Amino acid sequence: MENVITAIRVVPLGHYFFLCFLLFAIGMAGALLRRNILIVIMCLELMLNSVNLLLVALSAFLGDTGGQVFVFFIMLVAAAEVTVGLAILVQLKRNTDGVDINQLNRLKW
Amino acid sequence: MSALVLISVLGVAVLYLGIFGRKVILAPVAIIGLLAAIALLASGWHIHHPLLEGMLRFDRLATGFGIGMAAITVLVFLFGPDYYARKEWHVAEQYALMLFSLVGGLLMASYTNLLMLFLGYEVLSIPLYVLAGGKKRSLRSSEASLKYFLLGSFATAFMLMGIALLYSLTGSFDTGKLAAYMAAHAAPNMMLNFGLLFVVLGLAFKAGIVPFHFWKPDVYQGAPTLVTTFMATVVLMAAIAGFYRFIDATGMPHALATVLALLVLATLLVGNVIALRQTNFKRLMAYSSISHSGFLLLALLTDTGFAEGHGAAVGGTLLYYTFTYSLATTGLFILFTIAKRANQGAEHNGIFKGLWHAQPWLALCALALLLSLAGIPLTAGFIAKYQVFLLAIGAGWLKVMLFGVLMALLGIYYYIMVARELFAPAEQPVTFAVAPLNWAVVTLCTLAVLALGVWPHLPGL
Repeated sequence: MENVITAIRVVPLGHYFFLCFLLFAIGMAGALLRRNILIVIMCLELMLNSVNLLLVALSAFLGDTGGQVFVFFIMLVAAAEVTVGLAILVQLKRNTDGVDINQLNRLKW
Repeated sequence: MSALVLISVLGVAVLYLGIFGRKVILAPVAIIGLLAAIALLASGWHIHHPLLEGMLRFDRLATGFGIGMAAITVLVFLFGPDYYARKEWHVAEQYALMLFSLVGGLLMASYTNLLMLFLGYEVLSIPLYVLAGGKKRSLRSSEASLKYFLLGSFATAFMLMGIALLYSLTGSFDTGKLAAYMAAHAAPNMMLNFGLLFVVLGLAFKAGIVPFHFWKPDVYQGAPTLVTTFMATVVLMAAIAGFYRFIDATGMPHALATVLALLVLATLLVGNVIALRQTNFKRLMAYSSISHSGFLLLALLTDTGFAEGHGAAVGGTLLYYTFTYSLATTGLFILFTIAKRANQGAEHNGIFKGLWHAQPWLALCALALLLSLAGIPLTAGFIAKYQVFLLAIGAGWLKVMLFGVLMALLGIYYYIMVARELFAPAEQPVTFAVAPLNWAVVTLCTLAVLALGVWPHLPGL
């Protein structure tokens, strides 16, 4: 465990911040711009995982295990969420046909 | 704590009852369990000690919100047997998911650790994504469910990023440590401001604050009416309770208070103005809910950067406001279902036509509930808005308060438009079939709203 923490600390914390913000921004852009719902769900997962990475890095730098525990909770919840999301997508697919986000236009204003 | 365990076990028990095909006793079992949970919460009314290593604290206000949410859930479940009687869906799952969602609501009302905020938020939300898609064959229901899921996950990601940023500063998820850090570092801090902003964004999404309100009308319209009732009431209470705990623990820095004030203005404007154009009753209620979120946020705004003791007054007002709003909304959605059935599934405001001639008492109830939402004196809605405005004056947000009064007056218009339909004669004769239980719940909601309007200090808060 100590080895891992030392290894994490080799890279300066600022680099982790930069990488995480970049991943988060890519995820956000994808979630907003892509039209395929599967890709949107993947982008949402990317956003969550960028937070995971940040929390692990911070946990190692701050010497606090709380951050790592939080990551487990995020992974668990993300799994539950994506399970529900995919089930909803399957249901939508049965009612229309296809996974294009532009089909979601019955409810407006 | 024991109430949390009881409600979770109750949800599982309800699922088992569903497996064994006991559809008739589902609602009674769930309601008896919830009443027991309310008794457990009430018996711990004055116990303030922290739970789970200081992650939860059921103080007076958390208990109040918990009892309020459980009580409204009981009302929603009382509506259940009649609502589900003619649906072929798996009913047990619906009750169980609402119970699990309620557990998340209790966590959001009592957290003192950001981990519990996140868990409560998700435990509240994930069952709702499923519930919103409850009508399996309906495209609208699936669409509402998927929209809610995508936007909800998006908001969750932002909230998590905010929590991570705050963690980078304090090295702890405890809200007490965060408050101590903010007290020690008064200078403007980019990281801190963004962290707080992102967490607030996540909470604002759940409460339906403009510009994070887009899901609300769509999901309200697409979801089954019973689920819409649950979302409009219990979920709003939970979101506001979580919001309040966060703001009360941290005390917003000045920069964020300005952002919140802008959100209040935008929410009040958009909610009330777009509601004027709505013809679908469920969408109208959604925009009405957005406008009420605006008033609630105005009350929250007064809790920023103020001394001890002020927070309790804000919390009490929020509890009173959300609880009375929930009572009125529950009653109205039940009346809406009755009218919708009488009009072959139509959802426009005109379905209330002829209610006065067929069911005079229910029409009067509907009128009282609408007036309470509009904030007319002698109803609880008036007292709630009045208290919010008093708080806003006390905290010096005079211009925002005046704008709020203006929007409250504008809001009266669309409630009156619906109330007018109640007394208009129907084009062709309609028969409103009313189950005795629904009649009782509507009457109870109306009497409670009127009683709380005349004696605001009745619950002893």
